[in-house]
Amino acid sequence: MTVPEKVAAANAKVIEIMTKGRPVWTDVLPALEAVPGMEPNLILVPGPPIEPNDLPIPLKTAVCGAACHDGLAKNVDEAWEMVLRGEIRIAPSQDYNCGNAASSVMSASMPVFVVEDKTNGGKGFCVPHPGSNPRVLRWGIYGEDVEENLRFIRGDYAAVLGEAVRNSGGIDLIRVLSKTAGMGDENHNRQPAASMALALELVPWLLDVDHPARDKVIKEIAANDRFFLHVMMAGVEAIMASAKQVPYSTVMAGMGGNGIEFGIQVAGTGNKWYTTKAPLIAGIFLKPTTTEADLLGYLGDSCVTEVWGLGGMSAIAGPAYLRMTGGTFKDAKERTEKARQVSLGEHSFAPIPWDDYRGFPVGVDIRKVVGLNILPISHGGSALKTGGQAGAGAAELPVEVFKKAVVGMVEDVKRREGEAE
Amino acid sequence: MADTSKMLSLFRSELVVVNVGPKSFADVLEKQGYTALQVDWKPAAGGDKQMQEMLQYLGGY
Repeated sequence: MTVPEKVAAANAKVIEIMTKGRPVWTDVLPALEAVPGMEPNLILVPGPPIEPNDLPIPLKTAVCGAACHDGLAKNVDEAWEMVLRGEIRIAPSQDYNCGNAASSVMSASMPVFVVEDKTNGGKGFCVPHPGSNPRVLRWGIYGEDVEENLRFIRGDYAAVLGEAVRNSGGIDLIRVLSKTAGMGDENHNRQPAASMALALELVPWLLDVDHPARDKVIKEIAANDRFFLHVMMAGVEAIMASAKQVPYSTVMAGMGGNGIEFGIQVAGTGNKWYTTKAPLIAGIFLKPTTTEADLLGYLGDSCVTEVWGLGGMSAIAGPAYLRMTGGTFKDAKERTEKARQVSLGEHSFAPIPWDDYRGFPVGVDIRKVVGLNILPISHGGSALKTGGQAGAGAAELPVEVFKKAVVGMVEDVKRREGEAE
Repeated sequence: MADTSKMLSLFRSELVVVNVGPKSFADVLEKQGYTALQVDWKPAAGGDKQMQEMLQYLGGY
């Protein structure tokens, strides 16, 4: 086979993995128990690799908070010293088939959603979404109140939810997405329909759990319209675990930002990152006093949903998000059309009624992005440099990461072909 | 002698211009009442020759 033939075959295989993948939520377990390679002194952070000294304030706060939460340090100052000495390590979540949205981090004792891809065999992981309270580790805030909530999530919340999910025999996320087709979710920044459908599947099992905190847990989940996002992120990571095992494929298989740098991963080169300066998220601010100067660059792994065709890729499925963030229905349509021009596949599980029943485009080919010079768009929440959520909107993915990925793929393929210089 | 009738009929028919390149060329024609079709064309990889060769190696796009 020639190189182009091998690339075409590998890409067909990755699109098959992405479109036939069946993510099923099966468990809630401590990260140390669930995540292969997790260690007691390891804290997983969003985005590409970063040196401790380069961590932006929200991530630094989250890392130190998580270290305190895990009992690795007595206070955040001690935690930071341990990070600088290398006694507490940080690493990119997506290298471990995990996703950390916004400023979320994952430490060993935190409970994670375990999602299994029943078709391809991969497993993915994500910490629970903490709800609408703005004071959360997820936005780089730590304090006694945040610690109290983290302990509730690690304790009663994980116990009740874990038992319900295990007793259910697993919750099929494709079924949730199929049932909510045409309900206006784009499934990255807007997922009230999917969260409700997921609750519909969960509540009967939750009601059967015999635990004093059961009702409190049900209330938390039922009141959180973003609950589905973190379950779905684990689902995407489960599928990407298999996609990243396909040499020669030029399909994007990972993406995230740490506020300073933004990076992508490509199926053919697995966990290798291609990075550039993190773009800003343009959209709306929660407070009128916020300005662009207050913004960090793209922060978080929640854009793994775009890697699997959700969010900005299928913006036309959730046009209300565009309306909220300053766009129009036409903009939503154009976003999805752009995504279609650089994607190799299309999902069949959730046809969009007002888009001729087309499916979500999936599987961005880095060659198409560079060749056509068409940049897909990711939705996302924006973070303040000092911690906290600034607003929400969208960012055009920087072409530099795709160009670097093309160079990286050529080097990798030449090495495999014995052509390396 | 060559049959020029087809050529002449082309010149006598309504002018429709296909413009590949800067849209401003098409705009000028349209302002004068002619029909111009704009082709949204961009050079491969923004004209980056090194990228073009690498894309070719990987099978094009």
